[in-house]
Amino acid sequence: MTGTSGGGPSKLARRMPLMAPALIALLAGLWSGLLRLGLDLPDLRTDFAGLHGPLMVLGFLGTQVGLERAVALGRGWTYLVPAAAGAGSLALILGLPPEIGQTLLAVGGLLLIAVSVAIHRLQPAWHNTVMGLGAVAWAIGAIAWLFDAALVDVVPWLAAFLVLTIVGERIELSRMVNPPESARRQMLAAVAVFIGGLVVAVWSADVGLRIAGGGLLAQTLWLLRYDVARRTIRMGGATRYMATAMLAGYFWLTVASVTLIVNGALSGYGFGYDAVLHAIFLGFVFSMIFAHAPVIVPAILGVKLPYRPVFYLPLALLHASLAARLVADAVGATEVWRVAGAVNEVAILLFLVLAVTSAIRARGASAPQARAAS
Amino acid sequence: MGITPDQHFARLEQEQRRAAIAAADPEGASGRRLEQLLENGTTPEAAREALREVIDPELGIDIVSLGLVRDVTLADGEFVVQYTVTTPACPLSEVIEDEIRACLSRLPDVTGVQPRLVFDPPWEPEQMDEQARAALGWGG
Repeated sequence: MTGTSGGGPSKLARRMPLMAPALIALLAGLWSGLLRLGLDLPDLRTDFAGLHGPLMVLGFLGTQVGLERAVALGRGWTYLVPAAAGAGSLALILGLPPEIGQTLLAVGGLLLIAVSVAIHRLQPAWHNTVMGLGAVAWAIGAIAWLFDAALVDVVPWLAAFLVLTIVGERIELSRMVNPPESARRQMLAAVAVFIGGLVVAVWSADVGLRIAGGGLLAQTLWLLRYDVARRTIRMGGATRYMATAMLAGYFWLTVASVTLIVNGALSGYGFGYDAVLHAIFLGFVFSMIFAHAPVIVPAILGVKLPYRPVFYLPLALLHASLAARLVADAVGATEVWRVAGAVNEVAILLFLVLAVTSAIRARGASAPQARAAS
Repeated sequence: MGITPDQHFARLEQEQRRAAIAAADPEGASGRRLEQLLENGTTPEAAREALREVIDPELGIDIVSLGLVRDVTLADGEFVVQYTVTTPACPLSEVIEDEIRACLSRLPDVTGVQPRLVFDPPWEPEQMDEQARAALGWGG
């Protein structure tokens, strides 16, 4: 391996202990998802299905985001974010008293706020503020869950954590296309309406979620106009693949926000709830994950993950099965919904398999070159 | 018949690298400039031109055009490259460093490569060159 840090354990060996809980949380989250779909599978405990949301959003992605920021800043204490989130996930999965895992997850969110402040000090820019608000949303959601708020009330804050984090990153990238000064005001207003709606929803879910839906739609329309993906989709290879995945994500964000505006409160855990949540978490968030794995895995683990055109396959499967799922939600076709949901997970697992094989092959390929060079 | 899977994927990776470089520089202008500069030896100017092979995967644009390469100096065959990233929240600096090292190590007479991440002065979009601005659709 082209050694960067000289002697000592490789980057993969150093970072994997922090990444592993995230991957375990993903697998446990997927398992609990299958349980929620009503598949006849063994559940580890009676409450396991209820862990689906927190494990996917905070266990998997919270740990992942925290790890990315820690690698970026390179400061020891910032690694406490993925450590806390990872430990919290494992505590929940292992069936320890839930307060332990919930507290650790809440601590992770609070620490991410501190990390966001540090980032803002290095670069006082409004895109960092938006990402920081995402960290605040994580903390609010986790603390609410710790104090026994119903998941249906916690989930909007979990969604806000991911939406604001990703939107902040896309705003940062959008600087490359030189948007006008007015664009900043527009996006900040959209974010304010979005967060304002979530706050109002604490007292009146119906009114608040419609407002939040409006703010979400405004953010999406802004991104459809100013995201670099509109330019980079014209390029080839990995760049076009990433842009395609992002733009597809904005379609689902539009669907989710319009549904929120029209339907308002997600009454219980029914089809409307399922549709809005998975349009956001699968259509937008997982599409973004599929897009960036070839960039993030090398950055975090030091493992090459070359883009291959076959990566379009799980991407297409994800979006096609999501479309089927949402149509099933709309007409109340339970069996179709169940199958579509299972195929959503197949798409994710397929992507993981393709990513791992791509990484293994790339490792084997570069080793002979390194030996030849030394 | 006869090429191993490892060789196949090594070749695939090389092809993708060449394709990314070609996409970022369709007329091969950078490659020709590099050849010309190397005729005078491996100078900092040649190194800077060579760094156009390091490409941001999301944008399909090289780090020199993006204005991320701040300074390239040479002492006793060892290159010191001062570079920046567009945001301190970006975890890609280690990957970019690896690519800077790999890229410059391929040049003749290079004994070492030291990339150094700097944040001052902060990166601004205006530091992108004409090529990058055109690719990203800046007005006019």
